[in-house]
Amino acid sequence: MDIVLRNVVKRFGRFVALHGISFEVRKKEKVALLGPNGAGKTTTVRIISGITKPTSGEVKVAGKDPFKEYEVKKMFGVVSHHTFLYEELTAYENLEFYAKLYEADESRIPELLKEFGLYERRHELVRNFSRGMKQRLAIARALIHSPKILILDEATTGLDVFGKKELFTILENFDGTILLTTHDLEEAEKTCERALIMSSGRIVFDGSSEDIESVYKEVLS
Amino acid sequence: MKVVEIAKKDIKVELRTKNSIYFMLLFALISSAMFSVSIPVEAYDVVASPLLWIVLLFVGMLGYSRAFLRELEAGTLDGLRISPINPISVLFGKTLYNLFLMLLVEAMIVPIFFVLFQPKIENTPLFLLSLTAGNVAFVIVSSSLSVLILKSKTRELLMPILLFPVVFPVISSTLAALNMAKMGTVDDILSPLALILSFSVAMVGVAFLTFEHAFFD
Repeated sequence: MDIVLRNVVKRFGRFVALHGISFEVRKKEKVALLGPNGAGKTTTVRIISGITKPTSGEVKVAGKDPFKEYEVKKMFGVVSHHTFLYEELTAYENLEFYAKLYEADESRIPELLKEFGLYERRHELVRNFSRGMKQRLAIARALIHSPKILILDEATTGLDVFGKKELFTILENFDGTILLTTHDLEEAEKTCERALIMSSGRIVFDGSSEDIESVYKEVLS
Repeated sequence: MKVVEIAKKDIKVELRTKNSIYFMLLFALISSAMFSVSIPVEAYDVVASPLLWIVLLFVGMLGYSRAFLRELEAGTLDGLRISPINPISVLFGKTLYNLFLMLLVEAMIVPIFFVLFQPKIENTPLFLLSLTAGNVAFVIVSSSLSVLILKSKTRELLMPILLFPVVFPVISSTLAALNMAKMGTVDDILSPLALILSFSVAMVGVAFLTFEHAFFD
C-alpha cells in the first residue's frame, strides 16, 4: 500500500475536521478525493503530505510515518493551489532550491522548464509570472525528484486550458500512485479509476469513479 | 548541506528585497540619533555601551522573527514542511540567516555609534567579542522563539513579551561583559561570557525538544 490512513481524527480547537477516517491507496492506483467545500479533503491531503499533524490515528505513506521518517517525503510530490514558490527567486532558482532539499538531480531542471513552457523565462522572478505560469512551475517543482506518488490538491486552480491539458497528459502518463482532490466530477472520472467522496469530515463513498455522479449529487444536496 | 541551502536562499531573497536590512538599519540609525540628542554629552561615556546593546536588541527583535513570518505569510512554510528535511535543519538554516543579518547590522551600526558617542574603551577586541557573543545568543533565542509563537494569532505582539524575560540572562551578562571590557577589568570576563554560551547551548537544547511540535501545522 502506498497510502494508509487509519482512524485519523483532526480537531481544530472544538471543530472536528476529520471524524476518524480510514482508507488505503494501493501502489499505482489513481484515486480522486471528492467533496463539497469544508468536507475535509484539504485537511486529509495536508495530513498525508506531512504538513498538518493528525490529532489521533495512523498515517503511513510508502509504509512510513511522514512526521517521523522525513526521508519518505522523497517518495511523493505535492501540488496544491498554494504554489510553495518563492516570489523573489527566479523560476530556475526555485527549482534549484527544491532540488537541493530533495537531493534530486539538478540536470533535470532545464528539461522540466521546457516541458512546462517556462524555459525562456527561467531567469525571471516568479513574482512577475501569471497565476497559470506559477501553477505550471509548481507542478514542475513537485516532479523535480521524480516522485512515485503524486498528491494533488485542487491543482488545476489558476491553470488555463493549455495548462490543464498539460497537467492531465502528465497524470495520464504518470507511472505511479495519484491522489487527487477536486470538485470537478469530469476531472475525477477522466483521471482516476477510484473515487472517495467526503462529507463533513467522513468518507461517505468509496468505489469506482464511474459510479460517482448520483452519489455526489446526493452528497451535495 | 540543507541547513546552508535554506540560509543561502534566505540571504539571496533578502539581498534582493532588502526589506529587513533597510528596516533594521533605519531603526538603528533613528534610535541612535535620538539617543545622541536627548542624552547630555557628559553622560555619553557612561551610557554608550548599554545604549548600543539596547539598540541592537530592539533592532534584532524587529528583524529576526521575520525569517519565519515571511515563510508563513508567503505560504512557503508548507513547501519546507513537505520537503524531506529534519525540521531542526530549518531552524538552524533560519538561525544562520539571522546571524548573517546580525553581523551586517552590527558592522554598520557599531562604527556609527562610536562616532556619535565616542566612548573610551580600554579593551576594544574584548568589547566587540562580548557584543557579538551577546548578539549570537540573542539570535539563537529569538529564532527559536519565533517558531514557537507561529501558531498564535497575536504572534507579533507576543514576541517582545516572551522574548525579553527569556533572554534576560543574556542581556545582563552581555552588559556585564561590555562594562568589564570598557573599564579594562577583564580578569572576570570569562564568567559572563560562559553564562552567555551556556544559555545559548541550553536554548538550542530546548529548540531540539520543542521545534518539531511547533513546526508542523
